[in-house]
Amino acid sequence: MKKNIDVILLFAVIIISIFGVMMIYSSSSIWAEYKFNDSLKYLKLQSIFLIIGTILMIIISKIPYMYYKDKANIILLVCFLLLILVIIPGIGKIRNGSRSWFGIGGFGIQPSEFMKLGLIIFVSKYLCNNEKNIKDIKKGVLPILFITLLVFGLVMLQPDFGTGVIIVMSIIGLLFIAGISMKFFYITGIFGAIGAVILILIAPYRFKRILSFINPWIDPLGSGFQAIQSLFAIGPGGFLGLGIGNSIQKHFYLPEPQTDFIFAIISEELGFLGILIVSTLFLIIIYRGIKISLLSNDTFAKYLSFGITFQLSFQALLNLMVVVSLIPITGVTLPFLSYGGSSLLITLCEMGILLNISRYNS
Amino acid sequence: MFFKFIHKRIRIVLLIIFFLFFLVILKVAYIQLFQYKKLNTLATDLWSRNLPVEANRGYIYDINNLIIADNITTTSLVIIPNQIKDKEKVAKDLSEILDVRYEEMYRHVSKKTSIERVHPEGRRLNYDIANRISELNYDGVYLLKESKRYYPYDTLLSHVIGYVGIDNQGLSGIELQYDKYLTGKYGMIKYFSDAKGNRLSMSEVYEKPQDGMNIQLTINLDIQKAVERELDNAVAKYNPDSALAIVMNPNNGEILAMSSRPNFSPSNYKNYTIEQINRNLPIWSTYEPGSTFKIITLAASLEENTIDFNDTFYDGGSIQVENARIRCWKAGGHGAETFLQVVENSCNPGFVVMGQKLGKEKLFNYINNFGFGKKTGIDLNGEENGILFNLDRVGPVELATTSFGQGVSVTPIQQITAVSAAINGGNLYKPYIVKRILEPETNNVIKEYDKTFVRKVISEDASKKVRYALESVVANGTGRNAYIEGHSVGGKTGTAQKVKDGRYMVGNYIVSFIGFTPASNPEVIVYVAIDYPKGVTQYGGTVSAPIAKEILTDCINILNIKEDNVKPKEYNWNEIKYLDVPNVVGMKKEDAIKLLKDFTINYSGTGDYVKEQSPEANKRIKYGGVVRLLLGN
Repeated sequence: MKKNIDVILLFAVIIISIFGVMMIYSSSSIWAEYKFNDSLKYLKLQSIFLIIGTILMIIISKIPYMYYKDKANIILLVCFLLLILVIIPGIGKIRNGSRSWFGIGGFGIQPSEFMKLGLIIFVSKYLCNNEKNIKDIKKGVLPILFITLLVFGLVMLQPDFGTGVIIVMSIIGLLFIAGISMKFFYITGIFGAIGAVILILIAPYRFKRILSFINPWIDPLGSGFQAIQSLFAIGPGGFLGLGIGNSIQKHFYLPEPQTDFIFAIISEELGFLGILIVSTLFLIIIYRGIKISLLSNDTFAKYLSFGITFQLSFQALLNLMVVVSLIPITGVTLPFLSYGGSSLLITLCEMGILLNISRYNS
Repeated sequence: MFFKFIHKRIRIVLLIIFFLFFLVILKVAYIQLFQYKKLNTLATDLWSRNLPVEANRGYIYDINNLIIADNITTTSLVIIPNQIKDKEKVAKDLSEILDVRYEEMYRHVSKKTSIERVHPEGRRLNYDIANRISELNYDGVYLLKESKRYYPYDTLLSHVIGYVGIDNQGLSGIELQYDKYLTGKYGMIKYFSDAKGNRLSMSEVYEKPQDGMNIQLTINLDIQKAVERELDNAVAKYNPDSALAIVMNPNNGEILAMSSRPNFSPSNYKNYTIEQINRNLPIWSTYEPGSTFKIITLAASLEENTIDFNDTFYDGGSIQVENARIRCWKAGGHGAETFLQVVENSCNPGFVVMGQKLGKEKLFNYINNFGFGKKTGIDLNGEENGILFNLDRVGPVELATTSFGQGVSVTPIQQITAVSAAINGGNLYKPYIVKRILEPETNNVIKEYDKTFVRKVISEDASKKVRYALESVVANGTGRNAYIEGHSVGGKTGTAQKVKDGRYMVGNYIVSFIGFTPASNPEVIVYVAIDYPKGVTQYGGTVSAPIAKEILTDCINILNIKEDNVKPKEYNWNEIKYLDVPNVVGMKKEDAIKLLKDFTINYSGTGDYVKEQSPEANKRIKYGGVVRLLLGN
């Protein structure tokens, strides 16, 4: 702990978090008033999480990251236990069709969010400890792959496809930089494609989603509904937007506007200019995260910081590309901006870890 | 070495991430900047609810821009079910105010629709009811201004104008025929609503309705009023089966007035049968014209030079044609007469001879050329053809009866159009009633209709002779009841038998008169027909000529027709004569008394010479009327 933390990253995180709470209020007030007779409902909850998260971030930024390397197995085990508990009816709560929540009072805790970080910590440690076996797919990769697919399977039991994809992709990202031969990626690519086909065959609604992303107007009231409502928010925003608070789509046209599609409401209220600012904040955070990874002299810290940053980037991109109709709808929230307590909490904790790693960089 | 490899791959990943972000930003730019217009329009459609605002229907003007069909503004109830919170209470209150069953009103206020109207109870509300509804001040209950057709003169010109239904749609007459011009375009009050139909507190957009185009008729409202008045009088006096009148400009076919009885009130059209509304008698009814048709025989004969006014003819009261004996209307006949007197007396045997001199081909050729047997093509719906004998089946008897107007069937509009051609110099014009289509507000002309020349029927010279003969009819003959002091009038009476089930009815006539003024240069022509007048000798000369005279007198004033050289009337013993006052100013008193022998003289002042006189010289006054003289030295 010789050096100072990455101040730019800290400021970018604080700004985007506060901005996120602001936008959650603007987009959710109508919906909250209708559902809970309390237009401030989501603002209050998210603010509490923001305060707790910020405190946690600061605390974690002072806890040496090596600690997680020691406790990686226990962390993973706890995450596994929570993930199993949550899919047991009666313990886990169903929200939006997925049994993915623990309800504690008014708060909801999503164990898959913890697993996202827990698995990165574990894999970083594993890669760090098995540097020599990396080239050997059987010894180096298969154990990781096995655990990852186990996690994916548990998450899919909820089911929560979006989170599952994020978890799998962040591990693949880690494997990629760890130097696994490209042959592996070709094979997983093929398996992935086959897997996707199987998933589509199991639940044909997924295929409809894919079709509706290409032309949402085929089924404007069904599978294309969200895509169209999203475009109806982004489009009229124009260059400068309708002004903060003035979204029309949040008036029940776009369901639950404070969650997956909050970027569309931001586009509507703040226009293209607002989108440039939001994107810039994201790019700053991602760039600083990658920089921390590059500057780190410790292999574990390098993997950990890259894993966290890559996961954040991938989730953000997955959300944004859905909202702007570049890919089919997957149901992934936007880090920092979408409403969701556990997500914000974990993201801020991850930022705390990044900040802590930044202390050790020269 | 190992880090170097990792760093390379991390940089690759970073590049891919940046590239994908760039793609997202690009896509947002594409949506917000390039698809903006399309998406904004679609989204606005999704967000906005429209309350329609009715446009004003175009006005219908007379030729002097006086309004015949007007609009008044009323209010209508509009319900937006989604905005109504307490549906039971709103339904209860509204059902009480509008006198609608509660269940029905409840159905209206809870219907799954964006905008609901209560029809017809909630339409065209009177001020009181509208006021009570607006005092309730409920969300989702609105009062919208609506424009409603209003006919300030009620029954006036009703058959021509027609009427409109509850949605202001034209249902008959000009209202129907020119509906697409008269109908405007709905305007809108646009407001934004949320997906549940609640009104958002954003500014409303008002799209102005586009008013319908105005239509200007050739009708002269003042003349029309005179015609309506005269027909009302005729109905009161004679209680006829029906009555009709047309006033036209003979020089271009413009209809100046047109009316008939029975008529209807367009604002209460539901109280009338469809026949009463749709039968515009001046163009729909067909009947034997009787003697007014003799004008056609006369015009043909004069054009063909088959008679001369000075030729003589002896009417013994009837004429034998093959096996039929055709009688004159006057028992015992008119005796020896010139052909001019044949016309003046409307002598049937005389016209039979005229027809015989022409022959059937020539006579029927003229009848066709004058436009009988087919529609005139007037720009009104519901015109009839009339019926003529088929030329192959015309024998001597048919020729003879046709010559004086029996055995043919014509419409009033054909009759007045043909006679116009006979007196205007021989030019047949298509009658018409719509003069201009005008832009709303500015009244700029969009479309203008002008006279339509159909064909030349007779020469100017023959036409002049027709006018001369018809002026004689009024001055000396059967049309004397249409004589107007100071104005030359030409005309012809008609008394036609009605046919029922193939037989002539007894004692049941259509009596008519067609007249025009000034006789030498006609500016206006009037046709009047009264069907079965009661309590009067049924002659065109006794019933219809006085009505035509009244209408013509009004036309003279309204159209400002100057006095002209009048053919002196042959006065009957019981008629009042009119004489010109001679100029006596500056004469000796004794000389003046001699000159003024037909008048009563009042003196003022003293002296031997006349200093002033009143009325002035050349004024026409009654025989025995007072002339004041101021004497001096």
